Amino acid sequence: MVESIVLSGVAIGCIYALIGVTYNVMFSASRVFSFTAGTLGMLGGVLGSLFIARAGMPVVVGFVLVLAAGALFGVVTEVVAVRPVLRSLEQHLYVLSTLALALMTQQLTAIEWGTESRPFPRLFDLARGGFDQQFWLPMAACIAVIVGLELLYRRTLVGRAFLAIAEDTYAARALGLPERRLRMASFALAGMIGALAGFAGGEMLLAFFGNAPMLTFYGFVPVALGGMGNNRGAMVAGLLLGLFQQAANFLVGGIFASVAVFTVFILVLLARPEGLAGAAVQRRV
Amino acid sequence: MPLTRRQALASAGAAAIASGLARPAIAANEPIRIGYLPALTGPSSSTGIGINRGIQLAVQEINAAGGINGRQIELITRDTQSEPTKAVNGAAELTHGEKVSVVFGPVNSGESLAVVPLLARGRTPQVHPCWVDTLTDTKKYPMCFRNAPTNQQIGAAANRYVVDVLKRKKVAVISDTSGYGTATVNAYVPMLKAKGAEVVYQGNVDAANPDLRPELLRMQSAGAEAIMPWSVNAGFLSRIINTRGQMGWDVPIVGQTTLGSGQTKALLEKPEYWAKVYPNNFRPVCYAPGGKVPERTTAFLDRLKSAKIDMGDTLLWWIALGYDSPRMIAEAMKNVGPEPDQIVDYLNKLKGFPGVYGDISFTPDQHDGYPDDEVVMVEANSLKDGAFNLAPGYGA
Repeated sequence: MVESIVLSGVAIGCIYALIGVTYNVMFSASRVFSFTAGTLGMLGGVLGSLFIARAGMPVVVGFVLVLAAGALFGVVTEVVAVRPVLRSLEQHLYVLSTLALALMTQQLTAIEWGTESRPFPRLFDLARGGFDQQFWLPMAACIAVIVGLELLYRRTLVGRAFLAIAEDTYAARALGLPERRLRMASFALAGMIGALAGFAGGEMLLAFFGNAPMLTFYGFVPVALGGMGNNRGAMVAGLLLGLFQQAANFLVGGIFASVAVFTVFILVLLARPEGLAGAAVQRRV
Repeated sequence: MPLTRRQALASAGAAAIASGLARPAIAANEPIRIGYLPALTGPSSSTGIGINRGIQLAVQEINAAGGINGRQIELITRDTQSEPTKAVNGAAELTHGEKVSVVFGPVNSGESLAVVPLLARGRTPQVHPCWVDTLTDTKKYPMCFRNAPTNQQIGAAANRYVVDVLKRKKVAVISDTSGYGTATVNAYVPMLKAKGAEVVYQGNVDAANPDLRPELLRMQSAGAEAIMPWSVNAGFLSRIINTRGQMGWDVPIVGQTTLGSGQTKALLEKPEYWAKVYPNNFRPVCYAPGGKVPERTTAFLDRLKSAKIDMGDTLLWWIALGYDSPRMIAEAMKNVGPEPDQIVDYLNKLKGFPGVYGDISFTPDQHDGYPDDEVVMVEANSLKDGAFNLAPGYGA
């Protein structure tokens, strides 16, 4: 039982963490919480199944196309749902615009792909076993994203430019950084991470249009618990969420597991509104 | 001679009466218009597409044989596109614009929930095959008839199979958190208890939950001898079947028809996991031991073959249900004519209409016409040409 809790808990926690990072990467570049993060995860699974299982493409080609589609959806999100509302950020119109885009995409997927769950292909031709690829693939994807983002942000000029606009958009623009292009690149990157989450977790979650709202909700929890824009916090909180949810599934089961998860979520936020890893915002007086 | 206003009105009235009196003579040769509301496109269209094959065949056969007392049937179709709003628009158009004599459909419950009250208000006779219990009510919808089982009959058949045929007394009942899932579990659990079964596990789980092992472990430790899942979500059902297989737990799974669908099959990790899975079906369109079907069904299969109707991608009971519906309506009209009240009077006394799908009977107080005993369970992994083998234990 403990083995089962840990295996599925960590695997699903990694998917939540990746969706959390997707939120964060978009947030850092625009100060907008785009609720298309879960939709990206859903698209990763559905498109992976479409390209590899249905169209019969090789796994590598299917994978690259899924990432490209994720990047494209990220850019479309920025252009359609984020850019028009950036000027009035304090009115929080982005909640409406990004949710609308997410719902439209979800409904379109339901119409074109169907409302049934469909199989996601086995990516590697390995025998099924305890530590199966459906568990280790999300973990590998999670590690790859953490390492990749660290290298990007710390070692490359583009990464530092991302950090600069995340830190202070106006100052970055004053220094001559192409803020709009960097924001679009951030959304493309977030799109790829979200699609990767759905692709790596495809065998576990199946290619199902209904995964979008589930990932949107559960992927937001690591962001809130880990601190807005804090990727490391999102990773830790995502893993904790997965483990706690799986333990609750075993201990109380059914719909009560979701109740337990959100009860703890609310309690943590009451105790630490800035999140477990976030720092309290200093107010200048 | 000048024409006074009174004379003009009188002559107009006379003309109107004359044209009204002349109408039946013209109408006697006009086709009889039957409204039809299938979901031929959209996410819930698989049922409608199957039913449509049977309907079209039946109407062709009736018209080829001379129609209804010399009048051809004209099927006025409005595709609901699997959407209740479109179904409502279609129903309004059929009754007000097309002036149909009777409506068959919608064929999905969600659409029927919206359409049934509307047709009742318009006093249009309706026959539909939807399972939701509240979709017939002789007081609220006195002109609405169901020529298919209710959810109560579906649940009762599964319960009978588990308790009476398989002799399992400790049962786990699980559903997803959809309206259908929760309502079904709430309805079926008391029925199981009334039959003397002990419900050792009862749960509603989110259909998107990727890991159902905790639930199945809980069922196993509670001593469940049968699992009864109620969901139309193939992903949810396949996870239950896969987890049972991974656990090597030899326990029957008895429940919703989707357990035997192609979508569920596609999601199974191993084909052998589909053994000992028993979904609902209907005895007249199932293979008895030895691969036999009733004589009426054999003749129907021959007709389908000669009409070159494909059964490989649909289910025989959908086609049979579609085939029976216009025949039942035509029989009523042949006997009493196309007037709504006469059709309803006739159907209220219908006794054992011999359908391929099953014998249909109604009374003024009972508009659910499908017989209880024809609802049975089948072997999910036995699908051949749209039909299944009866589950073990029913006998020949």
